Amino acid sequence: MLAMVHASAAGESGAKVAAVAAPAEPDGFWNGPVNDPVPGTIKGGKVIHAQALAALLKHKNAVVVDVSNAPRRPENLPASSTWLPLPHHAIPGAIWIPGAGLGQPPPPLDQYFRERLAKATGNDMGLALVLYCHQRCWLSWNGAKRAIQFGYRNVYWFPDGIEGWRKAKLPTAVVQPEVTP
Amino acid sequence: MGLKKPGARTGRARAVLAVVLAGSALLGGLHPAFADEEDDQDRAARWKQLQESIFPHRQVLDSGGIITVDAPPRALDAALVPVELHMAGNKPLKGVYLIIDDNPAPMAAHFVFGPKADPRDLKLRVRVNAYTNIHAIAETQDGQLHAATKFVKAAGGCSAPAGPDDNAALADIGRMKLRLMGDFNAGKPMQAQLMIRHPNFNGMQMNQITRYFTPARFIRTIDATYDGGQVFHLDADISLSTDPVITFGFVPHAKGQMKVVAHDSSNATFDHSFDVPGTPSG
Repeated sequence: MLAMVHASAAGESGAKVAAVAAPAEPDGFWNGPVNDPVPGTIKGGKVIHAQALAALLKHKNAVVVDVSNAPRRPENLPASSTWLPLPHHAIPGAIWIPGAGLGQPPPPLDQYFRERLAKATGNDMGLALVLYCHQRCWLSWNGAKRAIQFGYRNVYWFPDGIEGWRKAKLPTAVVQPEVTP
Repeated sequence: MGLKKPGARTGRARAVLAVVLAGSALLGGLHPAFADEEDDQDRAARWKQLQESIFPHRQVLDSGGIITVDAPPRALDAALVPVELHMAGNKPLKGVYLIIDDNPAPMAAHFVFGPKADPRDLKLRVRVNAYTNIHAIAETQDGQLHAATKFVKAAGGCSAPAGPDDNAALADIGRMKLRLMGDFNAGKPMQAQLMIRHPNFNGMQMNQITRYFTPARFIRTIDATYDGGQVFHLDADISLSTDPVITFGFVPHAKGQMKVVAHDSSNATFDHSFDVPGTPSG
């Protein structure tokens, strides 16, 4: 059943992916444009699509991490300016760690990501870990690759992002970003 | 939000719910959405929130033929989206607001027209961070607000780097050019295109070498005067593109000087005077 659901979800997005040739996986982290066509695979991890992910979250314990960018209020923005970031919709239960999917995050942020994952998984390197951001966005691929390098053995990359999740009519929740160094 | 232990699913759900509720309260009653169809509702709710925040206790009317806004429906570069505002000129205007609904700092530009302005056409380039509505609002001399809207698809404008290297971007900061368009005829309106070299760092761009975010540094105001008479005053912040380009109209009653003064968020002032006519490109 799960396999069938997975296949149909993959088929759906497969039609879309076919229009733009998926690039090969780079050897290291991706440092090119963030919003660019992404590969169809991730070495050491598994690609998952919306319905299969929903089923996974229903039946298994998993830590879900959203690595989308967050708007940063400039310190010197005048008080008279309007600062009203949009509410951020996420997969319910997700932790939002902006910056964890950068090609080269600042070292303190890299360290924060490592420790935050350890805490969220209770140091269980075998726990399912799901990384996502937006469709056609490399941040989640980088984030998943980073988690794989940390040694997590059960890393899922959800390349369809929050757009794919919403398109599948799955529920979302508004979350606030973690305050990262 | 505390959601660390495996097996703490219920606790996690509760924590998220608490955040949702807190978020809703903070963000003026926006609720979590459950489907694509709610996108239109989300946009309407966002626009309502912005109106209440930017124009409290005022009514925003429809365009009423007073203003239109144009932009490419699918922008090639989200960091450089050209926007054109056209005002019919059938009512005297105090100024114009440009609001990019889904940007974190939605108020991209507020122009106030002076006596030397020809307030019928404005063009500028902005950053757009999402699929978003753009609202252009004309404020008439008698204080009415008229809004026109356009939906734009672009993604990534707010974190796109300003250029390959911050120092190069800052090298000739404040250099200006003014390009006059069309022929000079005393007393007749003419268009001018102002270009200012400025990275307009928005604080969300990462320096490719240091791997840290480049601190925000952006143009806050621009004043253009012609022979001492105000053409426009502009308030802006981080939504203007790198190296802002603004096309505007003015009415020269005789050959004279266009003076442009810009202030940025680091308290730097840049000014330049241009002969009109006479300097094709400053």
